[in-house]
Amino acid sequence: MRWGMVIDLKRCIGCYGCQLACKAEHGTPPGVYYARVLKDEQGQYPTVSNISLPVLCNHCEDAPCIEACPTGASFKWEDDGIVDIDHDLCVGCRSCMMACPYTNRYFNDQPAHYHQQGATPYEAARTAHHQSNVVMKCNFCRDRVRSGKPPACVANCPTVARIFGDLDDPTSEVSRLIKERGGFTLHPELGTGPSVYYLPA
Amino acid sequence: MTEISAKYEQLVQDLRRDFRPQREWGEGRGLFLVIGHFLVGVAAGAWLFGLIFNYGPGLVAGFILAGGGGIAHLAFLGRPERFWKMVRHVRTAWISRGFIGLTLFLAGAVLYLPPLVLADWPWAANSALGYLGWGMAAAGMVVLIVYMGFVYTASKGIPFWNSPLHPVLYMAYALRGGIAALLVTMALFDAPSPSAASLVTIWIAVTAIVIVLFALEIQGALTGGNPAARRSVREMLAGRMAVYFYGGTLLIGLVVPLALLSGQIAPFGVGVLAAIGLFSALGDFFMKYTTIRAGIYLPLRPRQLRHR
Repeated sequence: MRWGMVIDLKRCIGCYGCQLACKAEHGTPPGVYYARVLKDEQGQYPTVSNISLPVLCNHCEDAPCIEACPTGASFKWEDDGIVDIDHDLCVGCRSCMMACPYTNRYFNDQPAHYHQQGATPYEAARTAHHQSNVVMKCNFCRDRVRSGKPPACVANCPTVARIFGDLDDPTSEVSRLIKERGGFTLHPELGTGPSVYYLPA
Repeated sequence: MTEISAKYEQLVQDLRRDFRPQREWGEGRGLFLVIGHFLVGVAAGAWLFGLIFNYGPGLVAGFILAGGGGIAHLAFLGRPERFWKMVRHVRTAWISRGFIGLTLFLAGAVLYLPPLVLADWPWAANSALGYLGWGMAAAGMVVLIVYMGFVYTASKGIPFWNSPLHPVLYMAYALRGGIAALLVTMALFDAPSPSAASLVTIWIAVTAIVIVLFALEIQGALTGGNPAARRSVREMLAGRMAVYFYGGTLLIGLVVPLALLSGQIAPFGVGVLAAIGLFSALGDFFMKYTTIRAGIYLPLRPRQLRHR
């Protein structure tokens, strides 16, 4: 089994719902974005359009971050292909951040809060399990997925632009969409084998 | 604005850019990594030339610099207390290999150096323990000279570093740094060695090699078709790193030592040799600093989504 995600750029309206859902799910501190949305403009006046590109860890088949990590803190779960970080092993050398061609890893260097007065009780509860001075990234909400739920960004997308499923199963919706709609990955020339596909806008 | 919020604002600005600069290696605590890489490279070079010219103070300088480099590396790590875990992934990670190299080097030097410089030491330099130390330090030295460039080449996210020339360039820096360390050491001990002339000749040759390799790397980045690599070169030659590059790398690291060498500024002597070494080493530091800081991440937007 290999979990993967398909993001339909035609459906994405760039509402940042995925980014917020992810923040709420994981309680990530300021400066750490497991999911984010890039915005761009295309064309020339008067035929201009906005393009939104949601990005997250690509959970690569041949992940450069895993190769670069000196401690084995970055690793891949054998049973589902999710690339994860064991924060107890991370030394904070940030070599994985340099190795990741998708720049979706963040260094949580100091305890930071969203409000000047410090952490709110909610924030404190949500961030209690985070370690500082280590690298953090998306893990496809592995805990949710193991309990049968889709990742938070998928569950909260109002336009159903994100579809989650098994890339190894040729009959799954993700496999079908990639095949029928010409799904593409970011930087395929690097040969990393991303598990996040995009459907053309 | 607090330091944390300033850093957060900077990150938010960076995330909006097509060409996002890397800031983790080289800025803030990341500066310790540059210092660490610089010191360890110079240490390995100093050890090599110390062995070649049979110059004990050069070996001592190499050991001290390597120790300093190790401390700088620890200061850079987010979790230095876990440093020993870096041996775990030696099969694929160049940082693991470098860590093992540094450990071997330091441990070997501890075995080999004391009998060489202290009179009443329990074992001699030509004893089994001494030879073991020599071998360990030599193996560690080779790893230290070789590994550093590969750390950068393995960084797929930064196309400018992802060049096959980078490891060779870093090896040349280590050699240049080693010669510089020996020149400075000779002045510190006020002992002009007959090998000084040979060292200067090698310094000129290695400097020429560094210039050629660097020019080739820049040319490769400019013509390689990767916009992020081109942007890195622009940052270095005409952007936010230009001051450090022209002032530090070119002026301090190249023009001043060459002027000193030509005898145009001061008459040739031990002090001038030391100055050449010092300026050369400073130039190498700025070279590494600018190369690291000029690193730009691969743009995320696919070509078909970019409006330019």
